Amino acid sequence: MTESDLHMDVDLDVEFDPEDLESRPPVGEIGAPVLVVDDLHVVYRVIGSKGRQQAHGSGARTREVKADRPSFVRRLIGAGSQHVGAFTEVHAVRGISFAAYHGESIGIVGVNGSGKSTLLRAVAGLIPPHSGAVFVDGEPSLLGVNAALMPQLSGERNIMIGGLALGLTTKQVDEKFDEIVDFADIGDFVYLPMRTYSSGMAARLRFAISSAASPDILMIDEALATGDAAFKSRSKARIEEVREDAGTIFLVSHSISTIEAMCTRVLWVHQGRLVMDGPTHEVAEAYKEFVRAHRASDGPKRLGPKARARKAAQEARAAEQAQAAQQAEAGTDSAGLAG
Amino acid sequence: MTTDTSIGSAATPHEPAGPKGAPPRPPAPITPSLSSAELRALATENGLTQMGVRPPFWAYIRDVYRRRAFIRVLAASNAYAKNQNNYLGQLWAVLNPILNATVYVLVFGILLQTTRGLENAIAFIVIGTFMFRFVDQSVNGGAKSISGKASLIRSMHFPRAVLPVSTVLSLLATLVPSIVVMCGIVLLSGLLENYMMMQVTWHWLLLPGAVALLWVFNTGLAFVMARVVAITPDLDNIIGFIMRFAMYGSGVIFPVTHYAERLPADVAAVVGPILTYQPIAVYLYLVRSSITQEPEIPPDPWMWVWGASWAVVTFVVGFVVFWRGEERYGRD
Repeated sequence: MTESDLHMDVDLDVEFDPEDLESRPPVGEIGAPVLVVDDLHVVYRVIGSKGRQQAHGSGARTREVKADRPSFVRRLIGAGSQHVGAFTEVHAVRGISFAAYHGESIGIVGVNGSGKSTLLRAVAGLIPPHSGAVFVDGEPSLLGVNAALMPQLSGERNIMIGGLALGLTTKQVDEKFDEIVDFADIGDFVYLPMRTYSSGMAARLRFAISSAASPDILMIDEALATGDAAFKSRSKARIEEVREDAGTIFLVSHSISTIEAMCTRVLWVHQGRLVMDGPTHEVAEAYKEFVRAHRASDGPKRLGPKARARKAAQEARAAEQAQAAQQAEAGTDSAGLAG
Repeated sequence: MTTDTSIGSAATPHEPAGPKGAPPRPPAPITPSLSSAELRALATENGLTQMGVRPPFWAYIRDVYRRRAFIRVLAASNAYAKNQNNYLGQLWAVLNPILNATVYVLVFGILLQTTRGLENAIAFIVIGTFMFRFVDQSVNGGAKSISGKASLIRSMHFPRAVLPVSTVLSLLATLVPSIVVMCGIVLLSGLLENYMMMQVTWHWLLLPGAVALLWVFNTGLAFVMARVVAITPDLDNIIGFIMRFAMYGSGVIFPVTHYAERLPADVAAVVGPILTYQPIAVYLYLVRSSITQEPEIPPDPWMWVWGASWAVVTFVVGFVVFWRGEERYGRD
């Protein structure tokens, strides 16, 4: 397999241009432990659903707490009370342990529904663990997909609320206001309610707010996926800054190239368990291998004739690009790209 | 890598084997390089604090106090956001209780004559509906203060007590202009025939005190409601019924104690004091005795003692109840 194959895979989206990959983050000074996760289990409840089939289909292990199949007559009578008392427990994270250190940036990879985001939120202290424990030094700040803190309020208000929630004082937020607005690059939109923002604008603003507080631990959950190219390079620089201030970064992304560009260490989560934990290139290679094999086993069925034509065109283009890139930087380290 | 192959084989049971071969398997789960005891030792050695556990009571209070600027900003934002989608905007904060009071004055005051024996029924009903609205909104707002701010709770880490406190504070902020309107109506109602003219006296200075006590009491209620509804969302549905019961039982629109006196003597002996000294009735009494000269509602120092006690007890109990659920509020 070549790099070009990877780039078409739906699970291996390119968020970063291949050029970005040359500026691989240096392996920084590793300091004292900042986060210790000991045998973490997370179980959450979905109230009012009997969604065993759906949840199970996506790979989560669920336990139906109350489920029976009554007769037709009873179903007819109880039509209005179909979901009464029913809830499903989803065991999303099933025993994960690791320690993270100051100055590390850690990527979390895994297929959809493998528990990446749940793990991140539990580690951020936003979902209480079912069992096990998370120990932390300082305050983690999580950047999620849902970027607006209070969608009905203006960006200006959201900056103030976000900053105060992160523990800044009113004065500090005022001082950083211009910097945040500049970084997010949203101009006068900052005075409009956040529900009017595009998802990219909201994500940019949220990232600007969270990183302005120079957090000890910054956790990013797919939030960079909606930004444009200019914002991506800015956010990458900002992440480097946080890391150099001995902060720790956690990054969840479907895009293996984003992870490769930004992380020094990768955790691979599969069905709520940690299946690999190591330096970026090792884990990324193994994960790419897995996704590729996954695609080979059921990939062709997913593509219609049109998609196949598009794929062929993309393949040709990507191959060209790869060739050009190889020629341009012959001899430089390109580990992690070649299959 | 461990030898735990059961996981590997269970990994992709529902995926059809593709034409090109067996479905891929991820590596088997790894055993952590450090044991549980070692990890915990590492955490304690480096002074890490455990997440997702309830902080100690006094530390929690300090933490909430440190976020007072946050509480203020949240309250102001809530108050502003509430009527933002209406053309009349903030005016609704005043118009709504006026319309409400009009309905009750027409139905209970004029049509049903339930306020017989009072010198100024309009003042009685207007004060009742305006002040009770504050309680009603605090209960409902407190109930939604956790569940309605999921996005904020899921991305930021702060003492959750900030949310119910700021909800009630924002209600207080919107109450102030409607209190001015309420006082205006009380004074103007005396111009009508058959309604006693109310005077501005030194007792009016007690009004802020009564409102402050009610505010403390409401914050306590909001704490309890926030916890209860966050844990059991169903209860949100019955709040409306309970609050209606509270309204008729507190003498908001007619003096309920008059009706209690008609009960059999032994029942009245129990029901009468409950209706008189239950918190909402006490606060309505305090406000009415401060700004009206209704002969049936004279200023009474004992009612102030009752009011202060209810406020302190409800606030403390509510705060403790809320704090005991702190670690569970992020859960969804």
